[in-house]
Amino acid sequence: MTQVATPQSLPPDMDGLELAYNGREYKAERRGDKFFLRTRTEGGSYGELQQVVIVTGSHNLQILWLETGQGRTLQQFPFGYIVAEKMWAPVNDTFLLPSNMKEYYSTGAWNGACMDCHVTQGQSRFISGFKWDSQVAEFGIACEACHSEGREHIERNRNPLRRFKIHLTTRSDSTVTNPANLKGPESGLTCGQCHSVWAFNDMTDKIDFNRHGAAFRPGAGDLSQRFVIQPNAPDHPEQKDFIRRTEPDFFHNRFWGDGMIRVTGREFNGVQASPCFRGGEFSCISCHEMHLDSPGQTDAKTWARTDQLRPKMDSDFACLQCHKDISSRLVAHTHHPAESSGSRCYNCHMPRTTYGLLHAMRSHQVSSPNVQESIAYGRPNACNLCHLDQTLAWAAQNLHAWYNQPVPELSEDDRMIAAAVQWILKGDAGQRALIAWGMGWESAQKVAGRDWLYPYLIYTLTDSYAAVRFDAWESLRTLPGFSDFSFIYTAPDQTLGEAATRAYEKWLREVRNVNAVYRQETAIDSDGRIHRDVFQRLRSARDEKPIFLAE
Amino acid sequence: MADRNLRFGWWSLLVFLSLGAVLEALHGFKIGWYIDVGNDTRRLMFTLAHAHGTLLALVNIVAGLSVRIVERFTLRSSVSFALIWAAILLPAGFFLGGIVIYDGDPGLGVWLVPVGAALLFYSIARIAFDLSRRK
Repeated sequence: MTQVATPQSLPPDMDGLELAYNGREYKAERRGDKFFLRTRTEGGSYGELQQVVIVTGSHNLQILWLETGQGRTLQQFPFGYIVAEKMWAPVNDTFLLPSNMKEYYSTGAWNGACMDCHVTQGQSRFISGFKWDSQVAEFGIACEACHSEGREHIERNRNPLRRFKIHLTTRSDSTVTNPANLKGPESGLTCGQCHSVWAFNDMTDKIDFNRHGAAFRPGAGDLSQRFVIQPNAPDHPEQKDFIRRTEPDFFHNRFWGDGMIRVTGREFNGVQASPCFRGGEFSCISCHEMHLDSPGQTDAKTWARTDQLRPKMDSDFACLQCHKDISSRLVAHTHHPAESSGSRCYNCHMPRTTYGLLHAMRSHQVSSPNVQESIAYGRPNACNLCHLDQTLAWAAQNLHAWYNQPVPELSEDDRMIAAAVQWILKGDAGQRALIAWGMGWESAQKVAGRDWLYPYLIYTLTDSYAAVRFDAWESLRTLPGFSDFSFIYTAPDQTLGEAATRAYEKWLREVRNVNAVYRQETAIDSDGRIHRDVFQRLRSARDEKPIFLAE
Repeated sequence: MADRNLRFGWWSLLVFLSLGAVLEALHGFKIGWYIDVGNDTRRLMFTLAHAHGTLLALVNIVAGLSVRIVERFTLRSSVSFALIWAAILLPAGFFLGGIVIYDGDPGLGVWLVPVGAALLFYSIARIAFDLSRRK
């Protein structure tokens, strides 16, 4: 969502804020209820005041937008505020992207991209160069975003007799769309108009969207000027080919090799590709709700913090509301003790294989774990995301024994070295981020142990991707002895190296249990060091292809 | 006639002050049926029932006392009747309207409110006229 910048909507302590990045220094000051920024290059003098006019995001990350003096064109303040950590960081370092992509989002980015979804019925209205004349219906994601146009609804329902006629009969109000009354695909598309990876049908539709905003209205069966991209589906072949030609990394930066979405904020791609979706009833509101009107719903703050779920939907009940028979044979189905994390539906069928906002998030493509997905596409499977200390071979054998899944062809490393070790040392930045985050997951730590995680997380503090370093730091702080470990994940390389050395020495001298026995699969020797040959081999085989998870 | 309004007023005051204590308890124990975000219409209706019930109880008491204090002033039978029923129907309408709610609308019971309001309007207007015309 987007809000007008006010003392209430902006991060705290803005007045007097001073930050520096990429050779420029920024200074904020408050005048009444308005905030302004001055910028100067290092050694120069501060320039004109620029007012902070709007702020995007509220729960996780806040990004500020400044006036430019060019009509409604906005410029990004290059620092974002990470709400949970109460810290400022360069916006580039709050996304998973290569460090050489400086100031990826800049002047006009809000007009040209962000406002497509962070407002209600935005019209970006590009003029020329860096000039826009953007307009919105409302800054927040308001009623009409999900319930369609409201004018007729409001006018006709001024009459109380009409309202009570609707209340006292089973008739639904024909003047408004209620996603709760729609079939699954249409209901899901209401959310999916934004929460999906989409593209324009053609240039005409793109221009129309730019001038007049989205033609899609909730209740419709497709996005009108746009379509939801499922990479491996047969629809829109020309448009997908065009994307492949003009933006070769488009799919790689958003999807796993089998077409499963790997970035957060685009959950409808996953929902649409789920087997549950084919039943015609399953949609986003099977588990989430946008109004707090269910009996037993918690307070607004908790609801917002817990993914806006309906009551009890953080439990197995989410799946059992349809798959009722599983509850009576839970252990036979999961092969895990009933109360263990291995018997929780989410952990196996919606593992955390999507990434964004600096953390791993559950996949919304309901699937069953298999090792082939890890070998063919590099996607961590649910078994090894919890059993971090086990190999792919171990997972494959269990899946074969329990579910008769074929055992895929495995390499020597797949049989000898824990899958998580392989991913965090030789995986691409997206895989490393998932594992760095996963090593802080309490359920995984209980199952796989904590002692052996230190060296890997400490090493990952020097990762070349800021987002990966952030997750390694977050996970390290969940381990005994490191809860108050200070670390600036956006610091220069030399400082990062010094911090990692400090962390390693702290672990070796103060924290490490000298009697700890490390499983062979973890590739940690009895002195607490990563086996040199394993480390060098896996590290040199790292997938260094630049990746930008375009959430 | 005036005694009837006086008696009714004090008993009514007792009832609606007790209702106030019940509403406080619903707040105190954080009862979701009353305080959840989606139940703000119910909260408004119950608050209005409590406020109108209490206020109209006091109006009945004042009307009863006015007959005793003001010389040559009597309460017509129809006014006494209307004042009592206004003090019943108005808060009852709000209260019943809050039991079952429809999104932003109260339940059917709220239709008692305009009836009570009409009775209240008649009785107050009649008292005002009668007080002005007394010799």
